[in-house]
Amino acid sequence: MANHSQFTFQDASSPIMEELMQFHDHTLMVALAICTLVLYILTSVLTGKLTSNTADAQAIELIWTILPAAVLITLALPSLRILYMMDEINEPALTLKAIGHQWYWSYEYTDFKNLTFDSYMTPTTDLPLGHFRLLEVDHRVIVPTESTIRVIVTADDVLHSWAVPSLGVKTDAIPGRLNQTSFLANRTGIFYGQCSEICGANHSFMPIVVESVPLANFENWSSLLSS
Amino acid sequence: QSFKLLGFLDIQNVPCARDSVLYGSLGSLVMGLGHFLATSRVKRSCDVAVGGYISIMLGYWFYCRYNLAHQRIQQRMLKEGMKNRVLFEGSYLDPEKGQTGSERSDS
Repeated sequence: MANHSQFTFQDASSPIMEELMQFHDHTLMVALAICTLVLYILTSVLTGKLTSNTADAQAIELIWTILPAAVLITLALPSLRILYMMDEINEPALTLKAIGHQWYWSYEYTDFKNLTFDSYMTPTTDLPLGHFRLLEVDHRVIVPTESTIRVIVTADDVLHSWAVPSLGVKTDAIPGRLNQTSFLANRTGIFYGQCSEICGANHSFMPIVVESVPLANFENWSSLLSS
Repeated sequence: QSFKLLGFLDIQNVPCARDSVLYGSLGSLVMGLGHFLATSRVKRSCDVAVGGYISIMLGYWFYCRYNLAHQRIQQRMLKEGMKNRVLFEGSYLDPEKGQTGSERSDS
């Protein structure tokens, strides 16, 4: 989860999120170069005389066409690479349905029999000591580590969005439509997210908690719950 | 709280960022000063300094990130290789078992 006053990314827990963070660093470096250039040009124009005897300016026109094109290509190539990486055909080990309601999520593991549950936010009055306010839920989504998980997201009433920042996942939940995404948690841990599409009074109070556990633990949990 | 250049680039935590900015600054100083000493033109030397800063910073950034990506791929391959070695050791899929098995049959 994010610390207080954090506005940078949370630590990555999936390969896609790692790639996205690297691309973000790359983009910021290019942005720094452009900002430096613009600041310098601004300073030199403001501190100099406002006279110009330039007529056609062919050279500068060429420069300020070619340079932005080069910058865009520098940004577009890694971006498209990650975009295609996100859409790679993989063989998911598990399929999970996440259904948004007002104002809770319900999950269905249809690979198993009778494994469905609702996930409500733990009210602050019932929160145990040391737990996170407005982020904890009564039933977490348990997934095995190092396994590709397919998530099918939909909604029952209004628009919602299933988002877990550290896994690099955000998928809109639209009534009457099934949206598919996939992720791979490359370490064990608990990953928090929140509903990311305005859905009414308690939009801020329907969090998502994904708990990544070793496969043996996941098998124990699923056999316990589906029996 | 880490220092952020121009308010958005986290120099301390982004790999290669600190080196890029430092090399860029040093290079820009050298180029700007050198141009001024050679030509005594202040404004043009400042242009050369800023241009040098941007080119050296971006140039080192691409070089460093390329090497970092190369290293990360090698780390992943090594990790996968180690995992597979532990997983398949002693089984029929173990590539080393085939070699030792043939040695034993010769002796």
